[in-house]
Amino acid sequence: MKKKEIIVIAILLIISLGGIALFYIINATDQALSVRVTSNGEVVAVLPLSEDHTETFKAADGGYNTLVISDGKAKITDADCRDKICVKTYPISSPGETIVCLPHKLVVEVITGES
Amino acid sequence: MNSKAYRLVILSLFVSMALILSYVESLIPVPLPIPGAKIGLPNIITLVSLLTLGWPLTLLVVIARVLLAGFMFGGGFSIIYSLAGGLLSLFIMTLILHFSRNDFSLIIISIFGAIAHNLGQVIVASIVVQTSSLMLYFLFLMLLAIPTGFFVGITARELMRLLKKTTIFNRLNN
Repeated sequence: MKKKEIIVIAILLIISLGGIALFYIINATDQALSVRVTSNGEVVAVLPLSEDHTETFKAADGGYNTLVISDGKAKITDADCRDKICVKTYPISSPGETIVCLPHKLVVEVITGES
Repeated sequence: MNSKAYRLVILSLFVSMALILSYVESLIPVPLPIPGAKIGLPNIITLVSLLTLGWPLTLLVVIARVLLAGFMFGGGFSIIYSLAGGLLSLFIMTLILHFSRNDFSLIIISIFGAIAHNLGQVIVASIVVQTSSLMLYFLFLMLLAIPTGFFVGITARELMRLLKKTTIFNRLNN
């Protein structure tokens, strides 16, 4: 490996790690957090992250995603999509974090502020 | 066998090898809670093809692999993401190969290809679900693309080193 290449790799590492760190720093807040559920580009629910809650969202194509909020974290626990990627996504709790279900066009994201 | 037929044989071999690697990859679970994270094994073939056949034919290899893999072991919906990722990845790798072949080895080209692949997928995903909040997700994928791209690049480099010792590609350039 040439020196130039190691520098390029280091820069890429700094961009991604720095970007992630910056993302969390910028979005850090003391305010109350909410979970916004968007289906097909339209907001269908805004729920406080502090209250435990379970809700199943129906998608336009007839599918469903079950969202569970507990201990200040939001997670999709069940879905009937094929890849189950949303179910495998880590629980989200910081502003700006997202869970996406592509087949159902569902986006769950943590936002700052009450509803 | 004339050169054109020979090219076709090599091209078909690349498609089938990339397809097998797609399948192998779908069997390997990624032990990370980051959805869509993959090693990118088929990119080994894309790189080798890019170096031996050039980009126009590699474009065919990528499209054929994505479509076949999508129909055989992916969800039908995943094809557009794979296609966007694969095409952007090929585009970026071709550019680097064309303009700074002497500066960068296959490893760097592979890493940029992996990042471009993720970028293409995230852009299409953002359009499909109509959200602009996938930036953090992309940064995680980008971080992961560095080691996986590194691994794929080294594999492709070693494969090229071994293949150059054979006479397989000698007849390609006639």
